[in-house]
Amino acid sequence: MLDWLQFVLAPQVVNGLSIGVAVVLMALGLTIIFGLLDVINMAHGEFYAIGAYAALALIGVGLPFWWALALTPLLMAVVGYAAERALIQRVFHSKDRHTLTLLLTFGIGIILEDLLKIAFGANPLRIEPPITGATEMFGLFFPNYRLFLMASGAAVIAAVWVVAFRTRLGAMVRAAAFDRNMAASLGVPVSTVYAGTFAFGVALAGLSGVLLAPIYSVFPTMGRDFVLIAFSVVIIGGMGSIKGAVIAGLLLTQAQSISSLVISPVWSDPLLFGIMVLVLMWRPHGLFGRLGHG
Amino acid sequence: MIDAILQVRDLTVRFGSLVAVNGVGFDAQRGHITAVIGPNGAGKSSLFNLVSGAVRPSAGQVLLEGRDVTGASPERMLAAGLSRSFQITNLFFELPVRENLRLAAQFVEGGRGLLRHVSASRAAAQRVDELIERFALQARANELAGFLSHGEQRRLEIAVALAARPRLLLLDEPTQGMSHADTQDTAALISGLADEGLSILLVEHDVDLVMNLSDHVVVMHQGAKLAEGRPEAVRADPVVQSAYFGEAAHA
Amino acid sequence: MAKALSIGPATAAPTVARRSAVRWLSYAFFVAALLFAAVAAALGDVFFFRLATESLIFGGLALSVDLLLGRTGLLPLGQALFFGFGAYVSALTLKHLAPSLPLALAVVLASCTLVGLIGGLIAIRAKGVYFALISFGLAQVVSKIVFNTRELGASDGLIGVPAPVIHLGVANLDTAHAPTFFLLVLGGMALLLALLMRLMDTPFGRQLDAIRTNEHRLAFLGFDPWRYKLAAFVLAADIAALSGALYPMLRGFVSPELMFFQVSGNAVINVIVGGSGSFVGALYGSALLTALKSVVGSFTAHHAIVIGALFVVSVIFFPRGLVGYLAPALQRLWSRR
Repeated sequence: MLDWLQFVLAPQVVNGLSIGVAVVLMALGLTIIFGLLDVINMAHGEFYAIGAYAALALIGVGLPFWWALALTPLLMAVVGYAAERALIQRVFHSKDRHTLTLLLTFGIGIILEDLLKIAFGANPLRIEPPITGATEMFGLFFPNYRLFLMASGAAVIAAVWVVAFRTRLGAMVRAAAFDRNMAASLGVPVSTVYAGTFAFGVALAGLSGVLLAPIYSVFPTMGRDFVLIAFSVVIIGGMGSIKGAVIAGLLLTQAQSISSLVISPVWSDPLLFGIMVLVLMWRPHGLFGRLGHG
Repeated sequence: MIDAILQVRDLTVRFGSLVAVNGVGFDAQRGHITAVIGPNGAGKSSLFNLVSGAVRPSAGQVLLEGRDVTGASPERMLAAGLSRSFQITNLFFELPVRENLRLAAQFVEGGRGLLRHVSASRAAAQRVDELIERFALQARANELAGFLSHGEQRRLEIAVALAARPRLLLLDEPTQGMSHADTQDTAALISGLADEGLSILLVEHDVDLVMNLSDHVVVMHQGAKLAEGRPEAVRADPVVQSAYFGEAAHA
Repeated sequence: MAKALSIGPATAAPTVARRSAVRWLSYAFFVAALLFAAVAAALGDVFFFRLATESLIFGGLALSVDLLLGRTGLLPLGQALFFGFGAYVSALTLKHLAPSLPLALAVVLASCTLVGLIGGLIAIRAKGVYFALISFGLAQVVSKIVFNTRELGASDGLIGVPAPVIHLGVANLDTAHAPTFFLLVLGGMALLLALLMRLMDTPFGRQLDAIRTNEHRLAFLGFDPWRYKLAAFVLAADIAALSGALYPMLRGFVSPELMFFQVSGNAVINVIVGGSGSFVGALYGSALLTALKSVVGSFTAHHAIVIGALFVVSVIFFPRGLVGYLAPALQRLWSRR
């Protein structure tokens, strides 16, 4: 029994955690964008993919992985900021904002995916893990890169939490999420906050892409598959809830990871989706509240 | 002995730690206009939501024509003969006036004729024409409801609530935002409806209107019933005066 | 986000004048299609007939999306699920039961009504954006399962589907004959369009418009919106499936790609670009985008970017779509005369 725990279950749990951290980053970006802007970013998967490709490109011109890791989110933030101001803001004030922003981001996603195909071709590419080898702990070998992923991901998540709930910036953003007009009349630069938040959310997706690139291969439609997980996490956790994204993200990736011991990988997504549907039926707004409202 | 069309017993609702309605009980007599008044935050809207099926009560009972309809859904309420209008105009703004009324009047057909052409329903069409006539909306009948003036929208709001031929009509601040002339016209309209035998439960802020219009007044304060009785009696009641008008005096 | 998703004033229950403009545009579409058929037949063409038939088939899928999005106010991002389902069931029926068009359609209709009911029970509970995401998720999940199922041909799909022949007393209609099948499908779409437009003039259809504009009030009018939404969902699923059922008759094969997000997404694009809520807009949108894809496709494989860009421009600057702007323009033209 102990053997099974140590050699079969534990590695799966660790696997699940490392993926889970990246999923949480992606879900955080999605949920923050929804929580503040009320926008469903259908292009979130494509930004994730762009993050991976950007890292690939930077490594291709000779930069070490660590530079790519640091620079990519910054690049993504710029792209996100520009997209929000140039495109999303245009439909933001219309009566049908919810549909239009969803459709708009959906269109942007299509364009981005094809851009990636044009720029990099449709074939899968690989990034070599920057850290190789494994560390022995508790009688098991943990791949070093995964340990790094967990640590850095957790650090970013913690940082997001601190900024959101313990700083003035975070308070401003949450105020704007709760009541835009009130926030504006209190001197909060709402338009900038919106664009900045979108940029931040997109940067998180890109970061997730870079972190996972050495584990999965990089191909133009990688975002499409991954975003379903992110959406499921966000929906289950509660759209707009940071706490929800973290908890649901970690739990669900664990569920996927452990269940892969007993069921074939084909059923892993249906399982996740099934959980999402059940949660929605029981609690239509997800497990937790919403940014600003929770 | 006139009978009570609506009996509210010990009705209570809690939202978290806030008790919005606390053990309220009263009767509304058939064919009468019963008004519920009270200062802001007295719980009038919550009471309305409880009676109309929009919100489930935490405790208490609502009896409509003797039948227990506590916690019933709005659809079941309407089937039992209760219809309501809304304080914040809740029309189908993108649809024409005529269509707003037709949708509401369709209820008289029950589930029949669902797949026949809309013009095939004589009963609904007649009802629509009646209402347009009565509420003086002829000139605007084909306009989108969103393009009507505020007063016209408030009239349409009442007409829509009336279309399904309810026996008890709940009017939530029907004259809200109306000009003085419109308010008087609406008051006459409401009075006319009651003369025809319709029972009306009314929430209103305009105290003078209420005093002139209603047969029976229920005063609420901080979620509970403070007093009830004929308008003149309630107006003269010192307890009511200090709670209601006293607040205005301090404001 | 409980507010029903809606597109704009053009999709309001139309005033009498606008309805005749939309009706006129509907006739114009079929007249244009018949003119096309005459020209193409005279030139002995086969390729463009098949391309046009395909555009009509995807137009049918777009019609199902318009019923949900343009009228009921639900945004479906996974309608390809039913389209692909219809395609597979049709292919299996034609291959293994009998190469009969009516049989294939009947089997698809019966099976999809059941599947649609199940899908609807899952999806309709969700409001607004959750519905969109659940429908997206359902399609992703099922298409993945089909992709991995060897009995259904896995990633290769099913090939060798026979093209049925319809035996009428006086003549035989061979669906393998491109012009014949085109006219057949055109007739089918015309019938579908007429039925849908007629449906919106029934109390049932008007309830859908009401749900789109103000779902909350409906309960107070005595109607449970949930039932109507479910019925609309099942109807839309059937329309999508019946359209999909025609696909293997045209191309002789089916593949999991027919269920992929690309197809669902294109259907939504067709509706928005063509003009949501008008029904015929879905057909115009499909025709326009098929033509565009064909033209761009002859230069580069990257037509998705062009379509995507057109769509983004449409959403920002022309959210009411082609018919959404043409119809009022026609109205104004006529009232000036």
